Amino acid sequence: MELKNKKLTEDEFFSLRKEVLTHWPTGQEVDLQDAVDYLKKVPAEKNFALKLRKAKEEGLTLAQPRAGVALIEEHIALLKYLEDEGGADLLPSTIDSYTRQNRYPECQIGIDESMKAGRSLLNGFPAVNHGVKGCRQVYEAIRNPIQARHGTPDARLLSEIIHASGWTSNEGGGISYNIPYAKSVSMEKTIRDWQYCDRLVGFYNEQGIELNREPFGPLTGTLVPPSISNTVAILEALLAAEQGVTNLTVGYGQCGNLIQDIAAIRALEEQTREYLDHFGYPQVFITTVFHQWMGGFPADEAKAFGVISVGAATAALAGATKVIVKTPHEALGIPTKEANAQGIRDTIMTLNLLKGQRMPMSPELAKEIQIIKAETRCMLQSVLEVGKGDFARGTVEAFKLGIIDVPFAPSKYNAGKMMPARDNQGAVRYLMTGNIPFTQDIIDFNKEKLMERGKFENREVTFQMTVDDIFAVGKGNLIGRPEGDKK
Amino acid sequence: MGKKTIVLGVIGADCHAVGNKILDYSLTAAGYDVVNIGVLSPQEDFINAAIETDAAVIMVSSLYGHGEIDCRGMREKCDEAGLKGIKLYVGGNIVVGKQDFQEVKQRFLKMGFDRVYPPGTTVETALKDLREDLGFAEVIGA
Repeated sequence: MELKNKKLTEDEFFSLRKEVLTHWPTGQEVDLQDAVDYLKKVPAEKNFALKLRKAKEEGLTLAQPRAGVALIEEHIALLKYLEDEGGADLLPSTIDSYTRQNRYPECQIGIDESMKAGRSLLNGFPAVNHGVKGCRQVYEAIRNPIQARHGTPDARLLSEIIHASGWTSNEGGGISYNIPYAKSVSMEKTIRDWQYCDRLVGFYNEQGIELNREPFGPLTGTLVPPSISNTVAILEALLAAEQGVTNLTVGYGQCGNLIQDIAAIRALEEQTREYLDHFGYPQVFITTVFHQWMGGFPADEAKAFGVISVGAATAALAGATKVIVKTPHEALGIPTKEANAQGIRDTIMTLNLLKGQRMPMSPELAKEIQIIKAETRCMLQSVLEVGKGDFARGTVEAFKLGIIDVPFAPSKYNAGKMMPARDNQGAVRYLMTGNIPFTQDIIDFNKEKLMERGKFENREVTFQMTVDDIFAVGKGNLIGRPEGDKK
Repeated sequence: MGKKTIVLGVIGADCHAVGNKILDYSLTAAGYDVVNIGVLSPQEDFINAAIETDAAVIMVSSLYGHGEIDCRGMREKCDEAGLKGIKLYVGGNIVVGKQDFQEVKQRFLKMGFDRVYPPGTTVETALKDLREDLGFAEVIGA
């Protein structure tokens, strides 16, 4: 069957479904009618989609951590701690990396060893292994809406299990959970597999149950220019909408320059609306998520709080509907629950102080919004052309040709010819555009911005700037200036 | 003598690619022959690459916390494959959570690793150890 951006028919969906549920024994526990009944009983305050709608109407920014451990009891204790002591508005369940690769036998080893060791040897919650029974236990123990956050190219069984368990949101998408998370999974395969995940949400929608979906904004989390992540988010929004998703949260990972970050969120929301309306999905409700700094963190916890606070402030001033929170342990790996709660409290304090305030429009902000939108439009238009009018086919072709190109991605299906670097104000620009079909104006603008920095630092504009930028925040600065230059 | 070969990769179900790309770039610039097997690599891929290229060092990265499970038995597998005495380096965020690094280091040394690096280790540290363990590499255009 040819890949197309077209809603799967019920027959197509249910015939795929039969096979999906055989991937691991817990698949047999998923009973759709039982799931519909269960989800209908989810109160509004525990429904992710509805809580986001309300927050947007009230102009609030909600705080959500990342968190997940191997065992059910410990995972519940962790989530309860984050809502009770941290004050989290929305809860996650970060899924472990074996599950993300569908390696369920290894999850079982991780679960057994964690029980023996008395500490989690997995970096997340193995939801498929715990099955509907285990995941419902988690849902029933907490007060807030819960979402699966992962990085799974084939998340079909995982999605079946979590939604049937009252988890009312799922993160991911055919591009954003492939290119940054896999080495050799084809784009065509992940788009199909995520069409299934979206169609499942569409099915629940038809039963009168609204679930939220969230394309993963930050991608590789490393100097991703806003127009790249915005293009991916808009494509995944269009693909999800076609399958019947009506509640979408598009995301963006903090780059670090305040004006550029705010411009990115505004451009993302406006352009997603524009494209969804234009291609026939005006019914979709859009919210935004801002991810605090996803790159390397300083090891000093006091410095880490600085990074977290600026991220929270930017989310508030941008008017994002939610912010994903980092922790003071970020440089060292997975945080303790105490450190995680500290990150949330820091964030909420910052959000409260800025409540109701928005960054007003200025010539600088308007210019950034304009350039991000223009860059994004170049890519999206090209996707549509190479896909002969179809966004799914176009996405596959676009990655093949390097029309969309994600920096530092592990996937061999990503061209890797584009290279970013910061300009003299710390905004992320295109150092090398590879095969991205930008207009000459856009190429010149980016070049000019980087030349400005080269002149200031008295060095050539090269990949060394990129390398310096990657380590800069960990070392205490946004821009990777040459060593010895502490201006 | 030719250039020394280093097999580089990220072990297990881990897909962190940024440090891997930087290490590749920096080790190559320092004059080593880098065979980068990339992310999501099982032990067997490291070992096969080391056999094929007659490598002097296998450099294992793990950023996601499962390093302890993923690295187990690697020394024994190297021995079985005829790679007796090959240097094994490991670094990154190799365990789940904030644990005492000295304890973690002992755990990995016991597993047969020669060098164990904490989070935030600079490339320069690894380069210094490589020179110590392998002698000076032929540096091209340095």
